[in-house]
Amino acid sequence: MAAAKRIGEPVLEVRDITLSFGGVRALLDVSLEIRAREILAIIGPNGAGKTSMLNVINGFYHPQEGTIAYKGRVRQRMRPHEAAEQGIARTFQNVALFRGMTTLDNIMTGRLLKMRRNFLWQTIHWGPALAEELEHRVFAERIIDFLEIESIRRTPVGQLPYGLQKRVELGRALAMEPELLLLDEPMAGMNVEEKEDMSRFILDVNDEFGTTIALIEHDMGVVMDISDRVVVLDYGRKIADGSPDQVRRDTAVIDAYLGVAHEA
Amino acid sequence: MLYREAGQFKSSYGADEAIFPIRQDRWLFAAALIVAYVVVPLIASEYWLLSILIPFLVFSLAAIGLNILTGYAGQVSLGTGGFMAVGAFATYKLATSFPDLNIVVVFILAGLITAMVGVLFGWPSLRIKGFYLAVATLAAQFFLIWMFNKFPWFNNYTPSGVISAPPRAVFGHVFVTGAEANSVDKYLFVLSAVTLLALAAKNLVRGRVGREWMAIRDMDIAAEIIGIRPLKTKLLAFAISSFYCGIAGAMWAFIYTGGVEALAFDIDRSFQILFMIIIGGLGSILGSFLGAAFIVLLPLLLERTPMALGFDVPVNYLSNMQSMIFGALIIFFLIVEPRGLARLWQIGKEKLRMWPFPY
Repeated sequence: MAAAKRIGEPVLEVRDITLSFGGVRALLDVSLEIRAREILAIIGPNGAGKTSMLNVINGFYHPQEGTIAYKGRVRQRMRPHEAAEQGIARTFQNVALFRGMTTLDNIMTGRLLKMRRNFLWQTIHWGPALAEELEHRVFAERIIDFLEIESIRRTPVGQLPYGLQKRVELGRALAMEPELLLLDEPMAGMNVEEKEDMSRFILDVNDEFGTTIALIEHDMGVVMDISDRVVVLDYGRKIADGSPDQVRRDTAVIDAYLGVAHEA
Repeated sequence: MLYREAGQFKSSYGADEAIFPIRQDRWLFAAALIVAYVVVPLIASEYWLLSILIPFLVFSLAAIGLNILTGYAGQVSLGTGGFMAVGAFATYKLATSFPDLNIVVVFILAGLITAMVGVLFGWPSLRIKGFYLAVATLAAQFFLIWMFNKFPWFNNYTPSGVISAPPRAVFGHVFVTGAEANSVDKYLFVLSAVTLLALAAKNLVRGRVGREWMAIRDMDIAAEIIGIRPLKTKLLAFAISSFYCGIAGAMWAFIYTGGVEALAFDIDRSFQILFMIIIGGLGSILGSFLGAAFIVLLPLLLERTPMALGFDVPVNYLSNMQSMIFGALIIFFLIVEPRGLARLWQIGKEKLRMWPFPY
């Protein structure tokens, strides 16, 4: 499979990012790049700054220093919804679905950016507004098929078990047809079977749609299996960057995980 | 047995997304419309039309307005009364300044003016949420009522401060406001307006706009990462909600009472409408109607029941009893089904589909 993949140029380049909250340095001089069509895993012990990194990439946090270039353009301070408009989608560590809405509605919200008819058209729900709605419904149904969640289409997501909620959240991100998909611990709290399903979906998404994926994951087995490249963070610094095999043998990584005393 | 959907197949997503996907529901809705348009005008007395059905419809409209803002977009508002007052006074100023303008146009313009006022007072919603936003809208409520009392320009310098509706016709001699207006005409006019606006609201909330509102309501951070602009979405909710409340206020002043002062729209009115949507069901258009019916009809029922049963109860005693029973019923319903009468209706339908089997 690795041979068939066409990993391309970097789509996102993060240069010398420093992010601090008051006196706490969450990220220190971190540089990394995400290349087109790859699966990049960001790993590291708790508090290493992994989620902060994703938050910087999609505009929740604004780093004090450093630049981020997306598709070759250095970007200014931006809001999360602007990241969405540029094709960056993400999921959260703690599922961030719209709990009162059904699975179908949640996935349809991923299509909102692509819907153009204004609210006056919507009030009559006829003609172009209806055509648009149905066109996106077809797309949403394809995602529902893909993720094998047909049976819970009409169920409010608040009532779904955790594993399925994670799947619906992935579905909502996919509905945005993102170029870059950020997954924050997509398999946290899942059993082996659910993890296998989720890994399969992630690989399929990458394979079929050519979506670039950056994910945070703690399960090393999964990370080593599905990722093309691994970046390791520890205490806000990048300590390793390379193929899963290189990273596995890296002494700094082993130290970080097994706990060698940090020198001041 | 009557309520079964077996054998009704849907072969397109269009059919699946209809307002009433089940045939029996369509029949029920059609029957309700026929009753409302044909049967009621034939049999209802003047009292029923003017004092029960018209206020019920007007309240329903205001409740839909508040439900859009609070139930769907999740922005708590205590300013409904204030916005209704804006609608009423805007209608008055427009109708008296431009006597040739058709009353329908006047109502729509008044709704648009209220929408603008709503957007103005909705601005803080970007920064503040929940209870704090409720307090901010309370400021709108008090400020607007104070303003209409303070500046006589709004009531054309009448000493009493009461604005009274000048006679206006929809077309020809079909008067809907003023003293000569026929009660059936009034009723049909309000009914048509409310039906159209309720349909529009239903369409809005099941489409893109409604999903944006619910996304903001359920989790604003997640809404932002899928590309929803919070300010734009919230302000649209304020605008449309206020449009509905404004028209409700205009109809209250012009068609239901025929003349009001600003105090008719004080904080009690806001609470009354808030209760309607809580009891009827937050985030449900049907719930807005059920809640309005509950609040308008139940006091009447409580008032009449002792007499009908032959008890001779002193009037002051009766009104206290009424408030107590009313309050107790509200608490009872909220405990039994916190999601309101609309949810009870839905559960009833689910049960009926399975009947006579438990599941």
